[in-house]
Amino acid sequence: MEFKVEAHRIMSISLGKIYNSRVQRGGIKLHKNLLVSLVLRSARQVYLSDYYGGICLSAQQAREWCEGEYMASKQGKLVPGSTESLSESDEQSEVAVDKQEPRDVVESPAGLHVETQASGEQDSAENGVSDSGCSDIKTPEESPEATQTCEVASVVTAISSNCISAPSPSDPKEETETPTDCQTDNSESAEKHSYEPKAPQAYTNRKRTADDSELTDSPTKRTKLTSTSLPSTNDENKGETEEMDTSNVSSLITIFGSSFSGLLSNKEGEQPDSEAEDSDSGQICCDQMLKNLNPWSTAIVAF
Amino acid sequence: MAGVAGGNDFQWCFSQVKGAIDEDVAEADIISTVEFNHSGEFLATGDKGGRVVIFQHEQECKNRPHLRGEYNVYSTFQSHEPEFDYLKSLEIEEKINKIRWLPQQNSAHFLLSTNDKTIKLWKISERDKRAEGYNLKDEDGRLRDPFRITSLRVPVLMPMDLMVEASPRRVFANAHTYHINSISVNSDHQTYLSADDLRINLWHLEITDRSFNIVDIKPANMEELTEVITAAECQPNQCNVFVYSSSKGTIRLCDMRAAALCDRHTKFFEEPEDPSSRSFFSEIISSISDVKFSHSGRYMMTRDYLSVKVWDLNMENRPVETYQVHEYLRSKLCSLYENDCIFDKFECCWNGSDSAIMTGSYNNFFRMFDRNTRKDITLEASRESSKPRGTLKPRKVSTGGKRKKDEISVDSLDFNKKILHTAWHPKENVIAVAATNNLYIFQDKIN
Repeated sequence: MEFKVEAHRIMSISLGKIYNSRVQRGGIKLHKNLLVSLVLRSARQVYLSDYYGGICLSAQQAREWCEGEYMASKQGKLVPGSTESLSESDEQSEVAVDKQEPRDVVESPAGLHVETQASGEQDSAENGVSDSGCSDIKTPEESPEATQTCEVASVVTAISSNCISAPSPSDPKEETETPTDCQTDNSESAEKHSYEPKAPQAYTNRKRTADDSELTDSPTKRTKLTSTSLPSTNDENKGETEEMDTSNVSSLITIFGSSFSGLLSNKEGEQPDSEAEDSDSGQICCDQMLKNLNPWSTAIVAF
Repeated sequence: MAGVAGGNDFQWCFSQVKGAIDEDVAEADIISTVEFNHSGEFLATGDKGGRVVIFQHEQECKNRPHLRGEYNVYSTFQSHEPEFDYLKSLEIEEKINKIRWLPQQNSAHFLLSTNDKTIKLWKISERDKRAEGYNLKDEDGRLRDPFRITSLRVPVLMPMDLMVEASPRRVFANAHTYHINSISVNSDHQTYLSADDLRINLWHLEITDRSFNIVDIKPANMEELTEVITAAECQPNQCNVFVYSSSKGTIRLCDMRAAALCDRHTKFFEEPEDPSSRSFFSEIISSISDVKFSHSGRYMMTRDYLSVKVWDLNMENRPVETYQVHEYLRSKLCSLYENDCIFDKFECCWNGSDSAIMTGSYNNFFRMFDRNTRKDITLEASRESSKPRGTLKPRKVSTGGKRKKDEISVDSLDFNKKILHTAWHPKENVIAVAATNNLYIFQDKIN
C-alpha cells in the first residue's frame, strides 16, 4: 500500500519534472528526461502490479468505498466537469475490472513478478495483492494527481485486457488516419489532468475524433483522448520528448504485440535520420504516437 | 608522487581561492569546467556565462623557495555567447561544458572550449613587443600625410607591457543535434572527438566545415531509445582507441581501425547489477557521469552517482576497484530525486602518477582515494577552513545515530554546495576544486 502511494508520488514528481524541462533554458535535456521516464516507468510498474493484484476484490464494494473517499478528499483542484471524468474513470475501472476478473489468476502472478522486479524495496507481494485490493481502486480518487493515474491505470488495464482478449495490431495503424488534431479543448483537458490545472497543455491528451469507430473493436479500450493545442514552436520539444518516452512505449509495444514502426512509416517521410528534419518529423511522429499512447505517456509526449 | 591521506609526510593545505565572496551567486559565475594544461603551468576554468578564465602559475620566488608559486589570472575572454536556434525555437546556452588543452607546439597556447552546440579553438598568445617607427602612420595610428614623408626608416621592436590575446582560430559548428557533453583531443594532435547524447564526431583541427560521425546510437525509431552517451574520451596513447560511457552504466571501447562507423564496440565494460539494491532510482544512479583514462592508458575511471570505479582495459566484466563516494546518500535517493540532485554530474580525475583519484561530493566536500594504500580522505573547500597555507582538516559524515564531535550528519549536508569539477596538476600535488563560483587551489605542504 505504501509502495503504491510512493509510486504515485514519484509518478507525479516525474511528470512535473518533464513538464518543467520544457521551460528550461537551453532546451530539453535528453539524458535527464530519459532517466525521469525510466523512473516513471518503474513507478508505474509498481503501481500497476498493485493494481492488478487488487482487481480480485469486488469492484462494487471497492467503488462504493472509493466514492466515499473521493468526496472526503476532494481538494478543490479539480475543475468543474472533473466529476464526469472521474465517473468515467470509475466506469472504465469497473469495466476493466469486470474484464479482468477471469484473468486474475494469470495476472496476479505476472503483476507480482513485475512488482518484484520493479522495486527491490517491495514487500512480500502477497501482502501487496491482498491489501491493495481496495486501495488500488480507492487511491485513484484520493488525490487530484491520482485522478490522472487512475485514468492511467484504467487505460493501461484496458489496453492489457484488450491485448489479452483480442490483440488487434490493426488498431495502431488505423489511428494513423486520424489527421493531426490540434484543437484546444481546455475544459476537457483540465478535467483530465488536474495535476497542473493551470497548464493543461502539458498533460492533456489528444482528441481522436475518428477513433471511436475503431475503438468499437475493443470495447474495453476506452482510450478517449482529448486534444491539446501546442504552439508549433514546440515541435522540437515534442520530438525530443517523444524520444524520451521510449521505454514506456516499448512497454506498450510489448503489450500490443505489434511494432510501431509500421504505424510510423504510414505517414509521408517522417522518421528521417537527418537532423534538419527532426523538428518536422517530431510533430508528425508525435501526433501519431499520441494517438496510440495511453494518456499518461501522452502527457510526456505532449510537449 | 606521495599519497593522499594520513601519513606523517603528506597533508593538503590551502593555497588560494578565486572568485567573489558574497553569498549572492550570479548564475553566470558558476564554474562549469576546470582543466590544467599538459605542463600544469596553466589552469583554465569555464563558467555558465560562457567565459573562460586562464590562470598562470607564477614562478616561485627566488628568495622564498619553499613556497610554491601562485596561480594568477592570465587571460579572460568570452568564449561563447547565448544563441537562438530559430528553427527549433530553442535557446542555446552559453555555458562552457568542457575545456581541453592542446599539447603545446609553439609559444602560443591552444585550447578547445565547447558549449552545447559549438566547439571553438582558441589561441592564447602573448605580445610583449610592439613595432614603432612606421613610415605610413604615426605612433597613435593616424595616417601620415604622404607629402610629408621625406625619409624611410625601419620600424623597431620596442618592449611593451605584456598583453595576452585570445583569438578564436576555428569554430566547429552545426554538427550536433543534441547537447555536447564531451570533447577529447586525440594523441595524434591532429584530431579530436566531440560527443553529444547520441552521436560522436571526429574532427580534424584544421577543418571546420565537416566532421566524421564515428558513433551513432540514435535508433531508427526514437521510441526505442533506451540509453544515451554521457561521456567520451580518447585513449592517451593509442590514437585509434576511444571509449564512451552510457546512461546505463556501461562503457564501450571502440577501435577506429575496425570500421568507419564504430557502432559495434570492441570491448564492452559492464558490472552486473546487484539485485538486492534495486530501487526506483537504480537506473539513474548507475548512469555514468564521467570517464577518464589514467595517464598510463592502462586503466580508466568512471564516476556514477554514488561511486567511482577503476577499470582495467583488459577486464570487461567488472571494475578492478570500486570506491564509495557518499554511500550514506543511498537511503536519501527519493529526496535527491525530488530536488534534482540525483542528476548532478560529478567528474573525477587522476593524479599525475595514477596512484590517486579525486572526485567531488556535496557540502563542498571532495574525496580522494589512494589506490595503493586504500586510504581515503574527505576534505572541504570552504572559506572558513581556508587559512593561508593552513592544513585542511579531514571531514567525516556520520551515518549512524551517534554523531561524534566534528562530524556532520547527513541531514545537515548542504546539497546546494556541490563540487562537480575538480582537476589535479599533471606533475605536482596541486589540485583545483570548483565550488560553485569559487575556485580553490590546494597543494601539499612542503616540509
